[in-house]
Amino acid sequence: MPGLIPAFASVATEPMGLQLLPTDLLFLGALALAAVYGHSAAREPLARARWSRVLHSPGGGIACLVLSVYLAVAVLDSVRVERAEQAPLTVLDLVLTPLRTGMETTYSAPFATHAHARENLEHAPGLWVRDYPRLKFGGRHLALPEETARDLVRRIALGTALGFGVFVVLTLVINQLRGRSLRGAITQWWEPAWRWHWSALGVLCLGITIVGCLADGWHVLGTDKVGQDVLYLSLKSVRTGLVLAVLASLITLPIALVLGVLAGYRGGWVDDVIQYLYTTLSSIPGVLLIAAAALSLDLFLSREAGALHSLALRADLRLLALCAVLGLTGWTSLCRLLRAETMKLSTIEFVASARALGSPSAALLRRHLLPNLMPLVIITTVLDFSSLVLAEAVLTYIDIGVDPSTESWGNLINGARLELAREPVIWWSLASALGGMFGLVLAANVFADTVRDAFDPRLGPDAKGVQGRA
Amino acid sequence: MTAWFVRRLGYFLPILLGVNLLTFALFFVVNSPDDMARRHLGERHVSPAAVSDWKRAHGYDRPAFLNPAQNGLAMVTDTLFFAGSSRLFSFNFGRSDGGRHIGWDIRQRIWPSLAIALPVLILELLIAVPLGLAVALLRGSAFDRGLTLLCVAAMAISSLFFIIAGQFLFARMLRLMPISGFAEGWDALRFLLLPVVVQVLAGLGARVRWNRTVFLEETSREYVRTARAKGLSEARVLFRHVLPNAALPLITTIVVTLPGLFLGSLITESFFAIPGLGSYTIDAIQNQDFAIVRTMVFLGSLLYILGLLLTDLAYAWADPRIRLGGN
Amino acid sequence: MLEISNLVLVAQTQGASTRVVDDLSLSLKRGQTTVLVGESGSGKSLTALAVVRLLPPAIRVATGSVRLEGRDLLHLSEREMNSVRGARIGFVFQEPQAALNPVMRIGHQIGEALTRHRGLRGRLLRERVLELLAAVGIPEPQRRFKDYPHQFSGGMKQRVMIAIALAAEPDFLIADEPTTALDVSTQAQILDLLQATQRARGMGMLFITHDLAVAHRMADSLVVMKEGSVVEHDSRDALFSAPVHAYTRHLFAVSPRLTPSALLTPSPVTGEPLLAVRDLNVHFPQRGARWWSRTRSFAAVTDANLEVHAGETVAVVGESGSGKTTLGRTLLRLQPAQSGRVAFLGRDLFALPPESLRRARRELQVVFQDPFASMNPRMTVQQIVEEGLVAQGLLREPGARAAHVGNLLEKVGLDPAWSSRFPHEFSGGQRQRISIARALAVAPRLIVCDEPTSALDVSVQAQILTLLKALQQEQGLAYLFITHNLGVVAQLAHRVLVMHQGRIVESGAAREVLFAPQQDYTRMLLAAVPSLP
Repeated sequence: MPGLIPAFASVATEPMGLQLLPTDLLFLGALALAAVYGHSAAREPLARARWSRVLHSPGGGIACLVLSVYLAVAVLDSVRVERAEQAPLTVLDLVLTPLRTGMETTYSAPFATHAHARENLEHAPGLWVRDYPRLKFGGRHLALPEETARDLVRRIALGTALGFGVFVVLTLVINQLRGRSLRGAITQWWEPAWRWHWSALGVLCLGITIVGCLADGWHVLGTDKVGQDVLYLSLKSVRTGLVLAVLASLITLPIALVLGVLAGYRGGWVDDVIQYLYTTLSSIPGVLLIAAAALSLDLFLSREAGALHSLALRADLRLLALCAVLGLTGWTSLCRLLRAETMKLSTIEFVASARALGSPSAALLRRHLLPNLMPLVIITTVLDFSSLVLAEAVLTYIDIGVDPSTESWGNLINGARLELAREPVIWWSLASALGGMFGLVLAANVFADTVRDAFDPRLGPDAKGVQGRA
Repeated sequence: MTAWFVRRLGYFLPILLGVNLLTFALFFVVNSPDDMARRHLGERHVSPAAVSDWKRAHGYDRPAFLNPAQNGLAMVTDTLFFAGSSRLFSFNFGRSDGGRHIGWDIRQRIWPSLAIALPVLILELLIAVPLGLAVALLRGSAFDRGLTLLCVAAMAISSLFFIIAGQFLFARMLRLMPISGFAEGWDALRFLLLPVVVQVLAGLGARVRWNRTVFLEETSREYVRTARAKGLSEARVLFRHVLPNAALPLITTIVVTLPGLFLGSLITESFFAIPGLGSYTIDAIQNQDFAIVRTMVFLGSLLYILGLLLTDLAYAWADPRIRLGGN
Repeated sequence: MLEISNLVLVAQTQGASTRVVDDLSLSLKRGQTTVLVGESGSGKSLTALAVVRLLPPAIRVATGSVRLEGRDLLHLSEREMNSVRGARIGFVFQEPQAALNPVMRIGHQIGEALTRHRGLRGRLLRERVLELLAAVGIPEPQRRFKDYPHQFSGGMKQRVMIAIALAAEPDFLIADEPTTALDVSTQAQILDLLQATQRARGMGMLFITHDLAVAHRMADSLVVMKEGSVVEHDSRDALFSAPVHAYTRHLFAVSPRLTPSALLTPSPVTGEPLLAVRDLNVHFPQRGARWWSRTRSFAAVTDANLEVHAGETVAVVGESGSGKTTLGRTLLRLQPAQSGRVAFLGRDLFALPPESLRRARRELQVVFQDPFASMNPRMTVQQIVEEGLVAQGLLREPGARAAHVGNLLEKVGLDPAWSSRFPHEFSGGQRQRISIARALAVAPRLIVCDEPTSALDVSVQAQILTLLKALQQEQGLAYLFITHNLGVVAQLAHRVLVMHQGRIVESGAAREVLFAPQQDYTRMLLAAVPSLP
């Protein structure tokens, strides 16, 4: 953490301009759209009640917190700063400068002071020994490797203290925003309804500050084959996974919505055609379809866009292509659900009343069908989210995923998979990739479950009473 | 009965055709006869004459979809699409880009795929259904909450983790099983054990969770209340009333995957070096062998559609409301 | 004897707990029928479920006891309770469709109870089940023994339910609204069956209903419940001749009666009819008997002829499947017709181009049955009521619509300040009022009322009917009132049409059709209606 300030300083003295790659634009755009929806949902009491139910439940609230952290990392990684004579860096890169620049030559274990492989070292002039060399960055500040434990403890203590401080400040700020006095905030922040949420926030604060303090002098998760810090790589991979999931959903949504509602509402031959379309598409095995489409798109790109000299742009387009492929092939399940739900809604009396009042179809769709389809859309999108994140790893393994130069969990796993056979075992890349994925997917799944429970029409305020009629 | 069958076939045949058209178009964009010719003759220094010679020699000099030079039916039939499709539909898969006989390869590789897929299905059923029932019986208890938590966590773990960890733990550290590979005959068992176990574990979380949802939904239905009002024990209510009803959605999801079992799991076979159809497909994708990929896409869709057909039949047979019609 | 003493049931919902049954005591003797009467929310069904300990998860017993021959059922273990359920106390549920296991043959479902409590198997079991089927009046028991529930009609399914309840020969029978979901003619048969069975076996019966007329028919003694408490408890004759509590008297007053005194004075039929229907035919596609069969066509409405004049109420009466709802929907052009001519205000309704149809809709409106499903839960009352104005492009000046909505709300008896609220904040009756306001917004001349009060309690129903009558007086509205409830028809209709299996079998002035029917079917229908003294 202390290394942050010099890093910022060095950049601040150079001319700066912002750059956004295509995926950055789309990703941030999608988030903006979500924010707009959130704003409109906050105004409509029914939606607001449901969402507050989601956030109030311990699972939903904590999942939201975790997802926000991931999202923050991804957003920071999506804004690029141009530098003179050098490749642009993202804001995340700037924040993580010590990790980014503290490279080794090759593998090293977490919290190691020495490299993982032997080299020829010159201990004394003329005296060559094959031994493990000291790392260039990890543990560099220690004179003796034996001091490691003490140094770690010191750093953890510092991190804990910082973490508590941050947590207390955050608590006070949040309580102030909620309109509580200072004293009220302090006495009330342990109320049972929010206990889990505050605890999670506390754990997160502590975790981030402790890791931050440790990362300042050590490779917390070791280094990979070319000596790059694995923690840095994992954090960079977050954006890839999130961009993939978000953009693919962004493409899936309009297709599934338009086709599903059209099929359910119009019926007749329109319905038959759309059913034919999605049955055909879904009968092609998923991986094969994605593989075929990705290959086609790849070759197309390399033929047309071969003139692009920016490697970053090339890799970005490939990511975009993958998002497009996943989006264009994944709309069938949502379409099917929307069709069934639209058909059901079309027979409900309030739609019949609207028709009897002379409302044109457009108004029916806009005011009656679409708002009541939103719960289904949200639940399905969030559920698909996690499977998209997991899919990236698998697809990268068969070489139809992201470009090898893009940091992603799939690439981390791919590169490290075979290293398990080495002696001693190199496990940290794999562990960090799988752990990072696990955190995101678990949070997304728990979030999806809470959303599903909150949006269940039988449990909502518009449900019938305990006894209904009799 | 036959009328219904014929109607269903009439519905599915255009879908197969559509699938075929889609894949043909996709592949044609990427891998036109010109590209194929260039690849075979070497990348550079290829004259257009050599390309057209090669195309004529291999029968690729016809247009893709519509041949205006011909008359009548031949306008459609004397095309690459028709020729290729009719070959596929008659199960004449031809040769791969590497020269191997695809049909023969497929026939060989079906068995290893099945040798994994079938035990996985059976084991999953044997474990997930009783667990789902147990949870429905003990809903709200600590067992239910603990198991649900476990399932949610398991579902968030990538299948790659199960494979890699499984290989690492059992094969490398404990040295109980070989890491990968295959053998003929009964010797294959020791190579199959780990992949089967890994795949079952990877899918268990989602399956138990889904079973639990289905069972719980059934137990909240009114006929369950009637059964209880008869004085039946909870166990009997579960087994004689809930399970047969819950079996209906279960059947739908299982039967539709049955034909697809032949295709095998792409990732598992690849990691464990099992010579099944899954690894066959993955190798083809990685080698950009379009002939094989096209065949596997065709087979995959065919099997999926077969699965849909079987599901209709199975559901109609299992649900008396459909089997015996209305009043 | 079954004795319930000081029973208190509590509902636990998100932190708050409310008493849904408060200090209820009653006793049930063998050979007698006690009827629990009350509207929704009175706690009568929950009481019944509490006796056999099948309460829903959110409800629990706070205090009290339920003694069967001295044993307190509430303190038995689950295993002991299972020996009581079915063997000592039989239960008949309300919805036979949902209450039977759809994938188990009914023979087995009945036999299960016998096997459990009497240990019968094999041939003896089969004989006994066939006996039971015959006893509850199911024809051809041998053939029907192997059938599944969906192959029976609603009434037949309820007979099967009764057979299940009686199988192990319990001393007591609890029937929770067993005929509420059935047609009136079927209801009469099932009530006969229950009464005969109870008398023959000397059982004690606890009968739950909201219908006072049914209560009168079945009861030896009556317990009137209101919001969880017992309001009055007496023998049938004493209660009906001299009700003591105000609520009981109120129930008597609002229960619809089929008496000539309730009739309206017939309005003179003048001028051209607003609506003239000639030879209307409506068909549906329907799946064939076997799952592989082609779809067939089902005739919902055949050769319908009717007229509605300004200011009059024409009631369309029929049981389920008679086609009355389809008729209403077709007239609103929510459903296509195969042939026939419908003239509305002199113009052919089916031949109107879209723009003219839209304007014609102003004059022809609808109020639906289900107060929950007839409003979009995401729209405010203001938006709901003004929907017609928006669709028709009326009252565009700023503030005009809001003012009009306020007037309408007042007219239907609601506070105009509530226009910013959402549907779920209102009761069923209030929601129906909003529906009526919505229909009135575009100033129609004819309103199709599709069972508007069938989902409401009796007292609320009376209020809505009063409102409808008042609006008719005030604005000269005409109603096409679709219902299955003959008692309601008596107090509301000028003319009555009786539908049976898609055809109009009788039509005429209310006085004639209801009290001097010409057709057998109408006579049968009227005879089946339970009456109040």
